[in-house]
Amino acid sequence: FLEGFGSLMQDVLWCFSQVKGTIDIGVTEADIISTVEFNHTGELLATGDKGGRVVIFQREQESKNQPHRRGEYNVYSTFQSHEPEFDYLKSLEIEEKINKIRWLPQQNAAYFLLSTNDKTVKLWKVSERDKRPEGYNLKDEDGRLRDPSMITMLRVPVLRPMDLMVEATPRRVFANAHTYHINSISVNSDYETYMSADDLRINLWNFEITNQSFNIVDIKPANMEELTEVITAAEFHPHHCNTFVYSSSKGTIRLCDMRTAALCDRHAKFFEEPEDPSNRSFFSEIISSISDVKFSHSGRYIMTRDYLTVKVWDLNMENRPIETYQVHDYLRSKLCSLYENDCIFDKFECVWNGSDSVIMTGSYNNFFRMFDRNTKRDVTLEASRENSKPRAILKPRKVCVGGKRRKDEISVDSLDFSKKILHTAWHPSENIIAVAATNNLYIFQDKVN
Amino acid sequence: MLGKGGKRKFDEHEDGLEGKVVSPTDGPSKVSYTLQRQTIFNISLMKLYNHRPLTEPSLQKTVLINNMLRRIQEELKQEGSLRPMFVTASQPADPLSDNFREAQPAFSHLASSQPLLPTDFVSTMPLESCLTPASLLEDDTFCTSPTVPHDGPTKPPPPALQAVKDSFSTALDEIEELCPAPTSAEAVAAETAAEDSKAHPSESNIHRPPEGLPESRTAESKLMDSLPGNFEITASTGFLTDLTLDDILFADIDTSMYDFDPCTSATGAASKMAPVSADELLKTLAPYSSQPVTPNQPFKMDLTELDHIMEVLVGS
Repeated sequence: FLEGFGSLMQDVLWCFSQVKGTIDIGVTEADIISTVEFNHTGELLATGDKGGRVVIFQREQESKNQPHRRGEYNVYSTFQSHEPEFDYLKSLEIEEKINKIRWLPQQNAAYFLLSTNDKTVKLWKVSERDKRPEGYNLKDEDGRLRDPSMITMLRVPVLRPMDLMVEATPRRVFANAHTYHINSISVNSDYETYMSADDLRINLWNFEITNQSFNIVDIKPANMEELTEVITAAEFHPHHCNTFVYSSSKGTIRLCDMRTAALCDRHAKFFEEPEDPSNRSFFSEIISSISDVKFSHSGRYIMTRDYLTVKVWDLNMENRPIETYQVHDYLRSKLCSLYENDCIFDKFECVWNGSDSVIMTGSYNNFFRMFDRNTKRDVTLEASRENSKPRAILKPRKVCVGGKRRKDEISVDSLDFSKKILHTAWHPSENIIAVAATNNLYIFQDKVN
Repeated sequence: MLGKGGKRKFDEHEDGLEGKVVSPTDGPSKVSYTLQRQTIFNISLMKLYNHRPLTEPSLQKTVLINNMLRRIQEELKQEGSLRPMFVTASQPADPLSDNFREAQPAFSHLASSQPLLPTDFVSTMPLESCLTPASLLEDDTFCTSPTVPHDGPTKPPPPALQAVKDSFSTALDEIEELCPAPTSAEAVAAETAAEDSKAHPSESNIHRPPEGLPESRTAESKLMDSLPGNFEITASTGFLTDLTLDDILFADIDTSMYDFDPCTSATGAASKMAPVSADELLKTLAPYSSQPVTPNQPFKMDLTELDHIMEVLVGS
């Protein structure tokens, strides 16, 4: 079932399915989507935004009456996960922006997810309520207490159906463990622990214990003036609960084994590609900073995203990646302006498809790119309202680098750098993708014949 | 889009300025390499010092910018001598902007719609800073490098002096945050009051690349020497050490400027301060303002800034 999907790019035609969010010209900052994540079955799709809210969409059951509507995602639950706080010691605000959401595998009727801002991780329980007890003895239907002397009969309360209510409750709050900004959280395959990583440290938590965490990585130097490198992302191995990786601002990835020592400051493997001398510039270090690292579903590979490329690494080969894909190499000659306007610090994420055969990442001008690892074909697509007719097939886009610009191409200087796609997600088993374009969430599916 | 002629010119400069392999040893492109390096240096400084977010700045960004500055510093150290050398003569403001406009077209393609940052840098500098270089030339304090383990043949300043400079700068920042009146220009001027030496050579470098190359290099390297000291403060706040701002703020602040006779003679009760009008305060401030503002003073202060501080203290 999985092998056929996405293996031949030319057979997959992506179509518009849905878009969530407003079409206002002015974007409210709080509505900017900051993270997108499918759960393990793909039934639920969660987004977090800069205003600290989480919105969960649920895929509706496919109906035989409307086979072409391959299960649309509708709002399932919305809640305020984090509120803005104030750090009185440093006189600075703590943003409520949701940096990451990670789902726990479902173990009962309720859904559990972790959401985090810069400082605090929270475990949320999302559960349904569709029945309520009726017929209490001591209180009436409105909840008012009845006079006991007026009660003449005894009855057993019964559960009656009610309108479906989805409630989200915070079950755990993991706070005060990070001096620096949390950039990643990752649920371990043992489903009992998870890790949270900030710029200089990584902590290991048990889901049941909120007042204590283990510090497993600490790269803070004794003298902060010697600081030249920070942690940018971290993730647990999908199957081996003792193994995790973390990436750095210098373009390196370290794989650590928690069995070797309590503090994993010494890596088991160190992945770094030697610098290409022909591409050296002032900005070499900055563009080598890794913004995202993801294990493949198989656990055999890791994928990293830096400013201009996506790289696939084999865990067994540390000295260079096995594949490198150029996302938007035409920006290489614009690095100075991109440094000036801070775009060079944008943190793009990257995702695998369910079978690890296609990888996807975002770019500017609301473009996003897909690379087929088998056929080596790639495609650039755009998330825009113009291509938003139901089941409209997305047309591949092309950026013209120099010389004559063809009719449908767009030149580099016309790219809109304020429209950046940083967050994308791929359904775990089907060809359904979610793309966050500022305050809008686009859902695309492959064409159903 | 631009005409074809313009485009050709862009490509030419693009190779020189953003080219992949532009080593300092290439002939004509050596100037553009230095120009680019200077531009990037200025941009980096602006990012570090002019950014006043409500939330903590990103540590990753700060570290990357710092690394950029350090790398340029290393390059300059290897290139030029570290002997203090200065750009001669004070420059009036107009030639400054004229020469700068000449240099601008080379960079205009770098910043698409935004004005070139070095112009911003220059234009936000109050005129007083532009005119101080003459006095700086005579002053020994320009040669000083902050008390940081740094092997340069520069005269170390009295450590207390440097500490007062830095702590005062941050104290001034704190006060500026209390009263909104000081403009960002003043803030920059105040912050760089202790580091005026840094600000000016970079301006003169920009508009004098052909003739000032050896000078610019050494002046830049002078700049560099003053860098680590700035990083200390930046590091303390930007790198979010366990050291709190309080430790820096309340250490060794020279409060002599705040002690005015009419005020300190009072018992200190707030009600007694009220009758003192702003005009009377100004009169007491007059003797201070008439003093020549020499760089030998531990800190330079505009009369207006003093006004603001007094207003805050007195509550008028």
